[in-house]
Amino acid sequence: MKNIETRHWTFLGLFVCIGLVMLIDVKLDIPVSAQTRKMFDFIDSLPAGSVLMVSFDHEASSLPEIRPIGLVILRHAFAKGHRLIGVALLAEGTVIGYRLMQKTAAEYGREYGQDYVYLGFKPQYIAAILSMGESIPRTFPQDYLGRPYEQFDLLRDVDNYDDVAAVISVTDGSLTTHWMEYGGARYGVRVLSGMTAAMVTTFDPYVASGQMHSLVAGLRGAAEYERLINREVGGERGMLAQTTAHLYVIALVLLGNLIYFRSRRKRKSA
Amino acid sequence: MDRKVALGVCFIFGLVMFAQYFSQHPAARSINQAILEYWQIIFAFTLLVGVVSVFKNNVVQIRRGQDRSYRLITLAGLVAMPFLALIWGIKADMPFMWVFENIQAPMQSTVFALLAFFVASASFRGFRARSVPAAILLLSALIILLSRSAVGTFIFPQMTEVADWIRHYPSMSARRAILIGIGLGSLTTSMRVILGIERTWLGGGK
Amino acid sequence: MWELEARFVLSMLWHYVAVTASQASPWFDADKLPTLIAALISIIIVLYTTYHRSSREKFKMREIAGLKAVEEAIGRATEMARPVLYTPGWGGDIQRPTTIASMNFLSHVAGKTAAYDCTLVYPTHDPVLMAVAQEVARESYARAGYPDRFRSENISYVTSSQFGYAAAVDGIISRLKPASIFLLGTFEAESLILAETGNSVGAIQIAGTDSTIQLSFFIVACDYTLIGEELFAASGYLSGDRSILTSVRAQDILKVLIGLLLVIAVIWSTIDALSGNAGSGWWSF
Repeated sequence: MKNIETRHWTFLGLFVCIGLVMLIDVKLDIPVSAQTRKMFDFIDSLPAGSVLMVSFDHEASSLPEIRPIGLVILRHAFAKGHRLIGVALLAEGTVIGYRLMQKTAAEYGREYGQDYVYLGFKPQYIAAILSMGESIPRTFPQDYLGRPYEQFDLLRDVDNYDDVAAVISVTDGSLTTHWMEYGGARYGVRVLSGMTAAMVTTFDPYVASGQMHSLVAGLRGAAEYERLINREVGGERGMLAQTTAHLYVIALVLLGNLIYFRSRRKRKSA
Repeated sequence: MDRKVALGVCFIFGLVMFAQYFSQHPAARSINQAILEYWQIIFAFTLLVGVVSVFKNNVVQIRRGQDRSYRLITLAGLVAMPFLALIWGIKADMPFMWVFENIQAPMQSTVFALLAFFVASASFRGFRARSVPAAILLLSALIILLSRSAVGTFIFPQMTEVADWIRHYPSMSARRAILIGIGLGSLTTSMRVILGIERTWLGGGK
Repeated sequence: MWELEARFVLSMLWHYVAVTASQASPWFDADKLPTLIAALISIIIVLYTTYHRSSREKFKMREIAGLKAVEEAIGRATEMARPVLYTPGWGGDIQRPTTIASMNFLSHVAGKTAAYDCTLVYPTHDPVLMAVAQEVARESYARAGYPDRFRSENISYVTSSQFGYAAAVDGIISRLKPASIFLLGTFEAESLILAETGNSVGAIQIAGTDSTIQLSFFIVACDYTLIGEELFAASGYLSGDRSILTSVRAQDILKVLIGLLLVIAVIWSTIDALSGNAGSGWWSF
């Protein structure tokens, strides 16, 4: 007990709070934000059969937060009949992205090669983004499963970003910045993003200036999107735990300030 | 002599890449494409340097008897994964991917999850209203936290709008100022590298 | 009235320059003309401040608390006989300007640890970065007069995986209990994990990064934080290297120009809005 510090008690408190709420199956009412609606409206307004590139730019560590975001975007796109090209610019996102696309496509009866193709991973993300702006078949001569690019009906008319309606970067870091800097600024491709909540303030300036079209952020963004497409992906389910964690942190901050002001008053009176 | 060659190559390629950015001519685009392909190939070779380094360091430490069990596990992983990849491939449902999905991914998620605990302890320790600006910052942080949870709008119906205002105006203006500063710093550093004034990337020295 | 005339003349001039530039050579993409002009102005300013004699005269840089604490941090580590840990973060590789700025800083720290005979530990996620850092440190140790104190095994490649790197560095911090930790470079989500672990072992921490998100974590968890371009100015500040200090001056000049551009654009767009014109939007390129 001697070695237990204050921070260990804060850790324990958080663990207990989240552990308890995970046992409760409650869905909270989440109003849809303008930010999420903007992405939804864009994908919804595209004519059926539009080609979208979905880039899985994340690692396995953020899967609990990223997976619901990726799922809602893929479900919406497949439901609208859009054709998807999947790529991964981080190695760990490769098989995660493939499995997600495969699973979601099966839900909507979409066929590999006709409705979606997964091109796989390319190292050196800046080089990959720039290279696809010149020629996607040259960057990915084969798909993830080793079949030639030319073999696929979907890819026959897709040579570079000019043939793609938008790129959707599903990310847990700042890789989307490179999509905007190199893909958007250089080749004019429209960039959208699904990202972890921690990254949203990084990209706010880009959305405000129009360099990024729109974004969906975190578990809350996934929960909002769930409402719009009327399909459950776990976003709303996770919001209870997230809300509890937020309230716990707020309580800790208030407690910390209370202790601080009391000790300051004691020092002044001493 | 080696340094002069490296500096010369850096200058020439820096100039070429700078110039081709402003051109849509097919020749410029094919130069760009070629350089990007070479870049990816070179990157693959640099990974070999890392593998050799990990192997060497861990073998030396094992011989010294330091953290032997952990280092043996490291080396076992270093050998096993390429072995699995070479024999069965790296596509979904192969042993390589099974190890990735069932061992590596959960381990990484676990370490990422530590962030939540550290945020809690850092908030408790660090968020003090020591002054008026600190108090305003603290209040803004509390509003943002509440707005990102599901109960914010129950406490105050306009919570989301207030939080959005904080994000889009005071927070964004500060962020933009920092981004401009960082952008300018990156610009001048890059220029120094291309012009050969900055030679740290060569391993230091003048 | 004169504002309308001025805007008309400027718009015509701009159009003439763009058309002439694109016609003069099919190689040139006229849409990128504003970017080229901005780049050329920046290049001229950097070259002027670097090479012009009057620009290289002594000028004063404001004090940066984090940089003044470097000496104290290394001294503390020496007194406590504990190592100094330096991490460039997971997010960057050698091509990033932030990483180059971090290498400059490392050069200074390595020189100090050599002089004080203090162990410097530098775990990295990138093999190229490891090789460069080894050379930088080796040269710093040699310049300080203690080449024999350099240990290449202390500058090692750990893993390219983000949280594998975070876990490894956390382990190093927990085992070695460094007295001082430098977190300088490009960081992603691992920043707070590293900073909090450093805090738990009682290390003095000096951080600096180009990521605005991670900056906020560092400000909460670290003793000193270099904000924005302070990281780029840091190595010049510490070493007195003229080329870096003149770059800082170039950055200041560019900042003034950007500020002027912002003011002009705001006034221009306000006049456009008030007069009900669609406006040229010349500032958005």
